[in-house]
Amino acid sequence: MIFLHLCLEFFKIGLFSFGGGYATIPFLYHISQVYNWYSLEELTQMVAVASITPGPVGINVATYAGLKTAGVLGSALATTSEMLPSLFLVIIVSKLLRKFSDNFYVKSIIATLKPISCALLTSVALGLLKPEIKDLKAMVLLGVLLIMSWNSKKDPIIYIIISALVGLFLVAFSHFS
Amino acid sequence: MSLIELFLIFTKIGALLLGGGYVILPLLTSEFVEKRALISHDDLIDYFAISQSLPGLIAANISMFIGYKLKGKWGAVVAMFGITSVPFLCIVLLASILGTLTENSYVQGALWGVGVAVIALIMLTVREMWQKSIRDFFFYVIFAFALLGLIFIKLSPIQTILIFTVFGVFYKRFFEKTRKGEKE
Repeated sequence: MIFLHLCLEFFKIGLFSFGGGYATIPFLYHISQVYNWYSLEELTQMVAVASITPGPVGINVATYAGLKTAGVLGSALATTSEMLPSLFLVIIVSKLLRKFSDNFYVKSIIATLKPISCALLTSVALGLLKPEIKDLKAMVLLGVLLIMSWNSKKDPIIYIIISALVGLFLVAFSHFS
Repeated sequence: MSLIELFLIFTKIGALLLGGGYVILPLLTSEFVEKRALISHDDLIDYFAISQSLPGLIAANISMFIGYKLKGKWGAVVAMFGITSVPFLCIVLLASILGTLTENSYVQGALWGVGVAVIALIMLTVREMWQKSIRDFFFYVIFAFALLGLIFIKLSPIQTILIFTVFGVFYKRFFEKTRKGEKE
């Protein structure tokens, strides 16, 4: 019975959460209140862990919440259920795009979504500036990364690795001095 | 390209998705546009814009769009499981030890770096979309008002998408009509 509820709850999250992984957290909070599958403290822990392991935060938190609730089977069901609505929608939208690619409304919607998408991403970046860029070293690192990446075609993962190493060295240096 | 190959590419991308799903666009550009030339840059940008406006996780949505484009329904399924596989295993196998790791100062140092890099990569993503879009008056107007709405009125993403898509389609409809009128 718990598996059925788990599937339904995570299917709902997949269907109703807009705006990426962090948008799923209010739903997970709601679940913690209704079902007692995990506590609020555990949810906070899950979000922290989800942000240090690779992958979209939404997938990681769903996996972790499923694991807490009903073990490995629970985590597989939660993750799959959360992504099923997307799978159906993507297939339907892809078919529609193929069929109506010359349609006026389809073309206008896509043309409108591009500037909206830019605005959404810009607001995410601006929102992150405050909690992440707190001091001069963060500003310098961001500046260096932007200059390095602006006109080069390097694998983007390189910048993540470099920055992680810089972070490690700074901690090591502060311990040493 | 076989389904297995597709699965492996998405597994790799899933493993490299550090700092959340927002860095997916540069990774996909590198794998599918630059290294393999399987998807055009324009299609990728279209998929990204659509993925943001569908419910669910943006990174999973855009991966499934590419999977479907390349290998149909099963391509989408394979993309879904590929992008999830490594993140899923990491949580299932490591969750118990990761809880204490988040408090380690070295891990926090590395995370601080990743956090800064993610901002840089999001800025690059915006720049990429910006460059690959036709930037007319319409584009600037929608961008500016959507951003103002997000920042000052605190519109949610879904409100922003709904309001401005409706506005955009009306605007285009209106302009198309006047243009046709001018020609006659």
